[in-house]
Amino acid sequence: MIPSDHFTRFYNEIFKFLETQGEEALEAYWLAISKNQERHILDLIQTEGLAGMYEYWSHIKIEENCDMDLDFDEDRLELRMNVCPSLSKVLDNDAAPMERYCDHCAGWIGPIMDKTGYHMVYDVIDRTKPQCVTRIFKDPAKAREAEKDAKLLMGWPGHKLG
Amino acid sequence: MASQNSPMRYEEDGNVHLDFHGAVNTTIDFIVERFGVDAMDEIFKKVGRDVYVSIRQDLIAGDTRQLVRHWKHFFDRENADYDIAIGEDEIVLTVRRCTAWHHVKGLVGHVSPHFCDQTSRTNEAMAEGSPYAIDTEITGEGSCRQVIRRRA
Repeated sequence: MIPSDHFTRFYNEIFKFLETQGEEALEAYWLAISKNQERHILDLIQTEGLAGMYEYWSHIKIEENCDMDLDFDEDRLELRMNVCPSLSKVLDNDAAPMERYCDHCAGWIGPIMDKTGYHMVYDVIDRTKPQCVTRIFKDPAKAREAEKDAKLLMGWPGHKLG
Repeated sequence: MASQNSPMRYEEDGNVHLDFHGAVNTTIDFIVERFGVDAMDEIFKKVGRDVYVSIRQDLIAGDTRQLVRHWKHFFDRENADYDIAIGEDEIVLTVRRCTAWHHVKGLVGHVSPHFCDQTSRTNEAMAEGSPYAIDTEITGEGSCRQVIRRRA
């Protein structure tokens, strides 16, 4: 058994393999993970909207030991990851990190937001540091406005940047 | 052959997120379907060789303690039903109820037929080039026997 605690180091090896197979393979995998994650979050979003997202990530914050601030109001949800345990473990690893490790988060969350009619602005800030800010808006115009403040904006399958 | 006191490269505390096992199952299905079992095996072997390099180096040096401690630490964290018997000639890990396998079964209903390859292939890779072989025998659904013994 690869312990659940070590999943991210396994994930990292998967990303490195898929990167050798091309961008399409990597994106297809993110979409497969996104589909898998729907069983945990889709119903919450469809029934409770931003409050459902807040509930999901409040649970994740505890269970995945995240140092994360969560905030939501009627317009948007903000996840401010101060210390991401996922990237932290990949960096504290005898195997080399995949340079675009952080991209998987947008890769699975983005398609779910597209499917449910929300608009995500995912600022990785710096791929070498375990911190990021994700904002999810109801109003696409507010999302586009928020994109202007991002340091390193992520796209995802179906939502390419520039 | 083994004691409890050797250091571990990766030691975890805090909460356990068992749903990651569901993502492993999805990943195995994805890789096997698109790239074949050999590709999946090679990734598991890379985990054994490159992620668990510290355990592997200990095994190459003839020291099984870190691997035994690793087993205890993580099977305890996941509340598995298991025991470890340390004998003169072999160390046997008997897993009667694997938390990972049963969690996936409960979560998605379908456990990949290659799910336990993560254990077999990773064990083989950790033992590569060492005086030990680690054999993994799947004894049933969510149960197995893993044996470390000196190569003949």
